[in-house]
Amino acid sequence: MEKNGKGFSMPKSSLKSTPSKDDSSQKSKEGRKVQFNNGGSPEERFDYSKSNGKSSSSADKGGRGNTANVKASKSKEKEPLELRLNQELLKNAKCLMDCEAAEIIQGIQDQMTLLSQDATIKLPVSFHKGLQYSQANARYTNTHSVRRVLEYPSYFNVNVLTKLPSTLKKHGVVEGEISVIANACPESTEEVFALVPSLKSKKSILQEPLEVALMVIKPLRKVDSTSV
Amino acid sequence: MYLQVKLPWNVIIAPENLDIKGVLLQRAILVKVLEEFASRRAHKDLGYHIAVTSLESIGDGKVRQHTGEVLFPVVFSAITFNIFRGEVLEGRVHKVFKHGVFMRCGPMEHIYLSCTKMPGYRYVPGENPEFINEKSPPVGKDDLVRFMVIGTKWLEAEREFQALASLEGDFLGPLPRPEI
Repeated sequence: MEKNGKGFSMPKSSLKSTPSKDDSSQKSKEGRKVQFNNGGSPEERFDYSKSNGKSSSSADKGGRGNTANVKASKSKEKEPLELRLNQELLKNAKCLMDCEAAEIIQGIQDQMTLLSQDATIKLPVSFHKGLQYSQANARYTNTHSVRRVLEYPSYFNVNVLTKLPSTLKKHGVVEGEISVIANACPESTEEVFALVPSLKSKKSILQEPLEVALMVIKPLRKVDSTSV
Repeated sequence: MYLQVKLPWNVIIAPENLDIKGVLLQRAILVKVLEEFASRRAHKDLGYHIAVTSLESIGDGKVRQHTGEVLFPVVFSAITFNIFRGEVLEGRVHKVFKHGVFMRCGPMEHIYLSCTKMPGYRYVPGENPEFINEKSPPVGKDDLVRFMVIGTKWLEAEREFQALASLEGDFLGPLPRPEI
């Protein structure tokens, strides 16, 4: 579906993803340059504009969305890249933290040791890599506490008992952003806002709850954690 | 990131697996779901299939004429892994070239980090080529790198994803190598 050139938008950004005419001149001046478009199949494109809350199924949208996407991306090419998940997708999907996924997948692995004798039971090829990655990135000793803290940080702040409890979700922090924050194990709120630029607009509201959350989850981190 | 998804699928059961005893039929349906989930490998919106977690419901079966097979609508929960534009992840470098490196992240094997997206780094050839930076740790084979995803591509024929990464931004880059 990608080969007919439809369904992909190619913003003219600093990524230098325009067709070969410009690339060839650059090639002669600066030697070989990395191109995001392979010379053999110019129609193949990476989707740079799946964001903006629109459907991530670029093939389904076809060429109809191309013009709008290019214009939108042109106007936003200087803005930081923000995490955007397909809202329609998330109706039936929940974003998990790596530590939560590790618990679930490990549970399945434990059951598979009993079921492995049955040849009819098949596992996806990505199962073991998924298990390995989640275990390596499971950086917390108590996943339930981390989830509660990130969603309800004010409950853990003894200085704001007289205030109404606030939640990160109440201030518009979505599940995907909470997962990115948890997986990154940030040391400071500055790091959170750098890694999740979509939260910068609410910095004044989120600063305090995030500080509390990071302070509370820091002791919950495992001592040695390396990712794969 | 990992997603926990609820999927409605139609499962076709062959006549020989239809048994008066409901337990065997339920087993046949579950085995079929596992088989199809494993064979499909990945979905363009949900990402790589990791595992089925539970069978939520099995609807009334509909007999298909001519073949005698029965079609059951089922709903099940599963874990998938996908990466999204704007997401921050950690990947491990597995190939180093003059113009960039390839990383893997979980089941995703083809994440390309171009040298143009590694500000301050220059390529150093040799037996163990790597990219070095005066102020940051190097980027070489088997190094862990925190990156941001700037683009993704779904390959329908291969049923796999490719992605583009960038280190342009604060708090992005290689993690320090463990001291020996």
